[in-house]
Amino acid sequence: MRHVGRIELTAAKPAELRTTSSKARTPLVVAEGVAKTYRTVSGGNIAALRAVDIAIGEGDFVCLVGPSGCGKSTFLRLIAGLDVLSTGRLTLAGSPLVGASPDVGVVFQSATLLPWLSVYENVRLPLRIGGRRDSDPGRTQRLLAMVGLAGFEDKYPYELSGGMQQRAAICRALARDPKILLMDEPFGALDALTRERMNVELQRIWLASQKTVLLITHSIGESVFLGDRVVVMSQRPGRVLQDFRIDLPRPRTFEQTTSDPEYLRLVREIRALLDSTGGDEA
Amino acid sequence: MSRQDVHVREQASIDLPAQAHAEDRLSLLGRRNRILLTLAGAVVLLGLWHLSVVVLQVPPYILPPPATVVSALWNGLHVPLMSPVGFYVPLASTLYNAGMGFLIGGLLGILLGSLMAEFRPVETVLMPYAFALQSLPKVAIAPLIVIWCGFGDSSKIAMAGLLAFFPLMVNTFTGLRTVDPALLDLMRALSATRLETYRVAKLPAAAPYVFAGLDMAAVYSLLGAIIAEFLGAQQGIGVTITQAQAVTDVATVFAALVLLGITGIVIHTVIRAVERSVVHWAGRANA
Ligand SMILES: Nc1ncnc2c1ncn2[C@@H]1O[C@H](COP(=O)(O)OP(=O)(O)OP(=O)(O)O)[C@@H](O)[C@H]1O
Ligand SMILES: [Mg+2]
Repeated sequence: MRHVGRIELTAAKPAELRTTSSKARTPLVVAEGVAKTYRTVSGGNIAALRAVDIAIGEGDFVCLVGPSGCGKSTFLRLIAGLDVLSTGRLTLAGSPLVGASPDVGVVFQSATLLPWLSVYENVRLPLRIGGRRDSDPGRTQRLLAMVGLAGFEDKYPYELSGGMQQRAAICRALARDPKILLMDEPFGALDALTRERMNVELQRIWLASQKTVLLITHSIGESVFLGDRVVVMSQRPGRVLQDFRIDLPRPRTFEQTTSDPEYLRLVREIRALLDSTGGDEA
Repeated sequence: MSRQDVHVREQASIDLPAQAHAEDRLSLLGRRNRILLTLAGAVVLLGLWHLSVVVLQVPPYILPPPATVVSALWNGLHVPLMSPVGFYVPLASTLYNAGMGFLIGGLLGILLGSLMAEFRPVETVLMPYAFALQSLPKVAIAPLIVIWCGFGDSSKIAMAGLLAFFPLMVNTFTGLRTVDPALLDLMRALSATRLETYRVAKLPAAAPYVFAGLDMAAVYSLLGAIIAEFLGAQQGIGVTITQAQAVTDVATVFAALVLLGITGIVIHTVIRAVERSVVHWAGRANA
């Protein structure tokens, strides 16, 4: 079941060489003064983001938390190329982001698998789009094995549990071997126990795949458990309030990490900060 | 029933094959009961029909007794396949015209529904006409179509096609417009072209709507072909009906109607079977 060492999705450095800080890494995504104003149906303007500055280093696991409606999803959609920023600068690997990029993989809150495609076909979907040729047919199999879905290739999404569907969606997001994985509350719809399992699973996938991850979550515990950094945003219009560095040792386990005093301190601190912004975060 | 169930379960915990066997028998019994009930209903209905004809002395040119209808059906079916006096040749002709209309009208409906859903200008230009035509009783157009297309097969195909066109256009349009926005986000995040999005995401997502349209269109195209036949044709089941009517052979009219009813059920069943295998995923939980 655990393939951490054996999966070569990129020219990966061994997991044990990873550091938990991003100081030595080149920024992969850089946001400078990114603002987004939506036009409402009634003709008014809604400022969703104002002047967001974030640099996400290569290989970083960044968690984004903030009050509901503060613009987290908006920020993610900008990086995914699903929306266009109003002002500011947003670069991926040094070049400005225009539209969707194959270097960006997205996992949405619901798995959004195509119900008429098998798990295998769903994961392979990104390789079929854009006139691509599936150069490495074994890759899909390896991805599925990595998330523990080997043997489920021919199943249909409705035959999978919610957690399995979300794991398949993660595979799909990794299909093009993107540089960064964007996840918008990917486990929000799961029960607490499945969610904990998925967190451990995601950490394992991250360690194995060496991807950069930007994860939006409503759970402070989840953000501290998973992240190298936890970025806290303000009320709408969102901006970065504080950027917490999480130096808990990896691989983290629920038993050890969640009882680690450092973990508890960070959770308390982030919660206090969110409370002081008047956000309705739990 | 539930006590029986419990009993079967208890037995099954000891002996699994016995459970399978018992459940088999139970469901078989249930199915047999249902079939028996349906048959009993039919027998009662036929009996009432026969009785009312006899007791009320309904003349056979108004309502023939069931036995006469059955014998008319038998007469129409107990002929060589190619015989012009039987039901086979007219039915085949009607089915061919209805089928051609179904294909042509249906494909055009899917095509135009797709164009309207995909391109706003097309929608803006065509929607008013689509609605106007849709709310028109299309049967009223039949005489016009006969004038344009003549008394041959083409007027039947045209009428069948016209009636098949609308449900498919409307359903395809609706299906394509109600696609989950999250799926469209996904396709955009993958930099899918418009055509890819249509082919890979939108059209399959609209398939349940399209199938509902196909089901309606099948019935309508049969209706369209027969209406056109009523207005004049060399052959067809509609001609069989009007000819029988002309000589007040009501039993043959009934026999033809029974035949059409059976045909309709067969077509519906086939479409449902295809639908079940193609859109097997529809209506299943996919959270
Ligand atoms: N398409 C849109 N048109 C108009 N306003 C929008 C649109 N999308 C988002 N908004 C507004 O922008 C603000 C930020 O929305 P966003 O979805 O980014 O919040 P969020 O931080 O992801 O919230 P949540 O935690 O509840 O998911 C909200 O006030 C929302 O109403
Ligand atoms: Mg959101």
